[in-house]
Amino acid sequence: MSSDTAICFDKVSKVFSKGHNQHGTLREGIMSFFSGKDKPGPLKDNQFFAIKNLSFLVQKGQSIGLYGPNGSGKSTLLKLVANVIAPTRGKVGVTGRIAPLIELGAGFHPDLNGLENIYMNGAILGMTIGEIKSKTDQIIEYSGLSDFISTPVKKYSSGMNLRLGFSIAIHSDADIYLIDEILAVGDEEFKIKSFNSIKDLLEQNKTLLIVSHSMERLSQLTDKIIFLKKQD
Amino acid sequence: MLKRLTNFRDLFFVFVWRELLIRYKQTAIGMLWALIQPLSMMILFVVVFGLVLNITTNGCPRALFYFAGLVPWTFFSASVNASINSLTDHRDLITKIYFPREIIIFSRISVFISDFFISIVLLTGMLFFYKIPFTLNSLWAIPLSALLFLFTASICLLFGTINVYYRDVRLASGFLLQAWFFASPVFYSIDTVSLKMKFLLFLNPLTYIIENFRRVLIEERGIVPWQFAVETGFVIAFFIIAYKFFIHFERSFADVI
Repeated sequence: MSSDTAICFDKVSKVFSKGHNQHGTLREGIMSFFSGKDKPGPLKDNQFFAIKNLSFLVQKGQSIGLYGPNGSGKSTLLKLVANVIAPTRGKVGVTGRIAPLIELGAGFHPDLNGLENIYMNGAILGMTIGEIKSKTDQIIEYSGLSDFISTPVKKYSSGMNLRLGFSIAIHSDADIYLIDEILAVGDEEFKIKSFNSIKDLLEQNKTLLIVSHSMERLSQLTDKIIFLKKQD
Repeated sequence: MLKRLTNFRDLFFVFVWRELLIRYKQTAIGMLWALIQPLSMMILFVVVFGLVLNITTNGCPRALFYFAGLVPWTFFSASVNASINSLTDHRDLITKIYFPREIIIFSRISVFISDFFISIVLLTGMLFFYKIPFTLNSLWAIPLSALLFLFTASICLLFGTINVYYRDVRLASGFLLQAWFFASPVFYSIDTVSLKMKFLLFLNPLTYIIENFRRVLIEERGIVPWQFAVETGFVIAFFIIAYKFFIHFERSFADVI
């Protein structure tokens, strides 16, 4: 991987199971833990490929769109980049800090107030406590929630949740942003604001990976689009 | 293993801070809860094991004897109980973003470490009250507490991991902790059992830890160095294996959780 590469997929496949076969995975895990070997066996009846033999490179500062029907592996791909799941075969290489703008606010704790959740989510996104402290005012200002920042998040509306989550992620100063359909949420005003912020990221030479069903959006925001097919 | 945590040091601090914060949100008496659990158990023990069953406490004041055993035991059982669910409670985070998952478990235990220290303050007060002198032997309680933390963390890592795959752990934990309680010298002293039984009971590392914790604090006795060395070696090796086991499985948490 050269130093300009942000994301590198090398013949990556990801297999999922249709049913609950955790039993197998725990047993296999224990066996591979003691034997030290970790080789995937042949595909079983209830397993399928979410991603099959996919290779691509993303340079630093590039903006890549992911386009394809439901079930074509877009979300799986984002999770592989985020290192949330491991590939069944192949290698995923990522350089830089990642901020997933996926299901914003999913990490919020309902009993904590807005400010406390800024610390929580900021740290999860890889910010240091010092960084969070210095950006708190900006984050609150951007979210437009200054009147509610001491309110427990459980009393927030879904729109407020989204605004705060987006605001934290956009201020997290990551190198790679994973963006999944969020442009479609929030009121008109915030939609424009978030759209502009994502455009700003492009100018700051950040790497973006954007999933959308809107070809128009993707063509406005991305340099290249990867078309994903549904796997059989 | 250590590098994983130092790289995510700030996240770890924030998690610990959050656990302490949510623990006392919307509670009326807050920190006092740390004391109520072992204190109420102590009163129950004095009544049941002391007044009703009249089990010997080696001539020590009953309340003190039970409390000194309950402090380490409560830490262990509360930590294990809270950790089993901790990974599955954070499903949203685990399926969304990467960070070393042990942070979830360690931060949850940290709450009980803080409870443990609050109980130690009360225990110290009781030692003064019963006029038990402080000796150099009492300082052994510090390395013994470290062993307790390490062993508890190992069990929490293992149980937390298996619970990601089988929620049966949650269901079995009630019985398991109860059985473990009887296999640990909380309400009895190991001195009262036969040699054969002793051998069996010492297979449980908590037996060594709790028995000696009480011994050095209230019975003013020392520890046997070779026993301490063996126990420390075992607890450290067990912790390393449990941690490696956890890291090995961590990669597939998001797939199965």
